[in-house]
Amino acid sequence: MSLKPIKTLDDVKDYLYAGMQLEHATIPTYITTMYSIHPDTNLEAYNLIRVIVIEEMLHLTLAANILNAVGGTPDMMKEGFLPEFPTYLPNGETDFEVSIAPFSHSTVDMFLEIERPAKPEEENTGVRLKAVNPSQKRYLLPCLKDENDQDVSYYSIGDFYKAIEEGLEMLCDELGEENVFVGDKSRQVTPEYYYSGGGDIVPVYDLESAKQAIRLISEQGEGFEGGIYDYEGELAHYYRFQQLKLGKYYHKGDQADEPTGEALSIDWEAVYPIKTNAKMDEYPKDSELYAANLKFNQYYKNFMDKINTAFNGKPETLIPAIGGMFIIKQMAYEIIKNPIPGQEGMNATPTFEVDKVELLSDEELNVVTPQHG
Amino acid sequence: MNAKTLEIQQFLQLSEKLTAFSEFQLQGTGQLEEYYEAVYQIIGEKNMIQLLTTFDKIQDETASDETAFDKQFRAKVLSDEKLGPITRSIIKLWFVGTWYQLPKSWNETFGLLENDKTYVISPSAYKEGLLWPTIGSHPMGAKAPGYGTWSAPPEIPAID
Repeated sequence: MSLKPIKTLDDVKDYLYAGMQLEHATIPTYITTMYSIHPDTNLEAYNLIRVIVIEEMLHLTLAANILNAVGGTPDMMKEGFLPEFPTYLPNGETDFEVSIAPFSHSTVDMFLEIERPAKPEEENTGVRLKAVNPSQKRYLLPCLKDENDQDVSYYSIGDFYKAIEEGLEMLCDELGEENVFVGDKSRQVTPEYYYSGGGDIVPVYDLESAKQAIRLISEQGEGFEGGIYDYEGELAHYYRFQQLKLGKYYHKGDQADEPTGEALSIDWEAVYPIKTNAKMDEYPKDSELYAANLKFNQYYKNFMDKINTAFNGKPETLIPAIGGMFIIKQMAYEIIKNPIPGQEGMNATPTFEVDKVELLSDEELNVVTPQHG
Repeated sequence: MNAKTLEIQQFLQLSEKLTAFSEFQLQGTGQLEEYYEAVYQIIGEKNMIQLLTTFDKIQDETASDETAFDKQFRAKVLSDEKLGPITRSIIKLWFVGTWYQLPKSWNETFGLLENDKTYVISPSAYKEGLLWPTIGSHPMGAKAPGYGTWSAPPEIPAID
């Protein structure tokens, strides 16, 4: 999707949709890396990534709430909502690849790029945008044209959300708050439909709650006003991942990039050698692996459809759908623990190619969902 | 492929016959190498080689004739005085993650094995037991299936 600087309510909706896409796209890469770690080893690293994944799920839900609040439609089933991997972060001259890859030093570096904090205000030249050299690639963080028709991109995810916040403020001034937050209130995911998921869900009804939701997303990602903690006192994603890179925990009162806490021990060898960005076609067609991965993609698509239903007027269906994540985990593990037939020393990975499979019903997939209510 | 890798492959094929779970499912537990090592340590090199070569020979002789394989496998492995009890302990190992000590009668005939004691192989062995998918459940305290899923009936996979 190509975005424009925000001028209208439709522009804001496009940004929020891109935000949902962005939050969701981090999940396949984070969980696959997490599941590539041998079970019962690297527990610290595993749990550190896990907490971040759960917060990404919260961010996805918050972005959907804001989009619903302004009368938008969070259509997760639209083709291309989940990008093909590798996807890219626009990064000036060259793009940065975002891959589905095993746990390793370079994967941690990739995570740091995804979660990189905004530059301090004094280093910002007035705009949070930077010139990029766009290709036809699909970007994780979308590109847009600035006033001079130059291709630019936001430096960080926080910068991107800041633009949404400023856009909402501008539109409220221009049109009146009641003409911006026109969404059906019953479409909001409220705390009763969301449990223990990486922070409190914020229902969005007006500018104030929209700003609160944006603040939660940005600060959990990259810290509060250049600090390493968010306003709830929790370490931001960037700095949590940095602990893996530096092999050390942050301690209260530490400065960015200089953790002084205990050592964090990592066994980089206790990892399944999964093939980076593997595709369905790379698995032998007659193998059980092919069938398992196909089923995984179908299951994941069915799961996305359930989340999408919850975001489109049926928030009560969210909690019963969540059980599906545990099935996804077990299916992913079974695939990851298997070598790819004919490719020595290379293990398989779920491919997340949801656009290449049909959307199947629970009956067709033989899925049992608990009843709610 | 080195000798050990080859033996692990044979052990995998043998396990497929013993458990009726596919190679993909067995490898999907992540337990293959650990179980091979454990069984090797318990029964010793000589017995392991005897078991695998007997199995291999039957496979070769019967080619793709399943009925013939079944007959010979029952006669020469499952009913064998020496190999039978070992294979039954391997079946239990895959299903519940515990190695069960060989019966006393086995010891009386073939002697005591130093490492042959009933024990849970590892924490993951319990979680990965084939028992759980067989009954459409999950290991208690591990692999939690999510809030509220207890209200759904167990999902028991169809038998082909």
